Amino acid sequence: MDDRVLIARVQAGDASAARELYDAHVDRVYRLVYRLAGDPDQAQDYAQEAFIRVFERLSGFRGEAALGTWICAIAVSVALNGLRKVKRLRAREADLEGAVAVSSPHRQAEPDLKARLAQAIDDLPDGYRAVFLMHDVEGYTHEEIGQALGVQPGTSKAQLSRARAKLRRALADFVKG
Amino acid sequence: MMLDDDPLEPELREAARAYHQPPGEPPRQQIWAAIVARRTAKLPRRERASRWWAVAWAAGIAAVLAIGVGIGRLTVRPTASPSRAPAAVPAAKAPRKEDVTAYRVATAEHLGQAEAFLTLFRSSVQPGDRERLASSTARQLLATNRLLLDSPAAGDPRLRLLLQDLELVLAQIAQLGPERRGADVELIREGLDDGVLLRLRAAVPAGATGMSVRSRQGAL
Repeated sequence: MDDRVLIARVQAGDASAARELYDAHVDRVYRLVYRLAGDPDQAQDYAQEAFIRVFERLSGFRGEAALGTWICAIAVSVALNGLRKVKRLRAREADLEGAVAVSSPHRQAEPDLKARLAQAIDDLPDGYRAVFLMHDVEGYTHEEIGQALGVQPGTSKAQLSRARAKLRRALADFVKG
Repeated sequence: MMLDDDPLEPELREAARAYHQPPGEPPRQQIWAAIVARRTAKLPRRERASRWWAVAWAAGIAAVLAIGVGIGRLTVRPTASPSRAPAAVPAAKAPRKEDVTAYRVATAEHLGQAEAFLTLFRSSVQPGDRERLASSTARQLLATNRLLLDSPAAGDPRLRLLLQDLELVLAQIAQLGPERRGADVELIREGLDDGVLLRLRAAVPAGATGMSVRSRQGAL
């Protein structure tokens, strides 16, 4: 069904249309916020908050991007804001407890590529991490990422390149050539 | 579409796929129920019944409760052999704050709707009059009532007792038919006068019901 027709039905108060819209996008939204958060409870909270905002702001959807991309933009924004709050909270806890590492310290002890890469991805700046996960892991295009993060596609591409460079440096002993 | 002139090494790309990999299916029903609950809670009482959130609310409650009841039944199922190592069974997770709130909201909504329905039933249903419609509404309320009885919402002994009494009255109304009239309606009325309705009113917080006056009347 055409997105505009679906949106019109939701706005007219059609409950089945709202559920249809949700069903069409929830899997992608959940995957994305899970990739960013890495925690089922947080992912559920972010997906829920994202859809609440989607329904609240539906009248403001102008169709400049695809509906799915617009929804993902809201989800990414909700997740990144939520993660920043979590980070601040953890940093505060770490300050209180002394020299407790903010990110998972057990990973550093594991000489496994996946664990080392996970640590390196955790250490990326938020924007780089989001671009890297969206592009290299979830398969979004730079155009979609640009729309989701509110940046130019060229900026997304540049950030991806820097993210990859950081990961390569962090994993130099694993990367050949 | 931009060309990727600096692709990540295949082994890194492969390893990156395992980063925060979502485990299986997303909890679609739980997320939806939470969305509907939050949207409904935000609406003023009078508006609730006119919005689609209120329509979806019933489905949301049922979905959440069905999931909760299912999980509850799975987690309390006794093991076949007591010698089995308990460590193999994952520890039951305490309900999240949001889930507890959702059950509380769902219970308040249900009690509010039951109270509205029973008040109208008591005052407007004469023997032989519109029993079929009342039975159908009672059956819907009975289904939710049973789910609530199996949910953590029934952990409160007073609430559990109220839900059990309510179940009895709703079951009686649900069974009303053209061949079983007068005496049955009178019995149900007596049951209501015995205090179920009064206790229901005391238990319903102000503004808990999602039914507007018009839809309350429509329930019968």
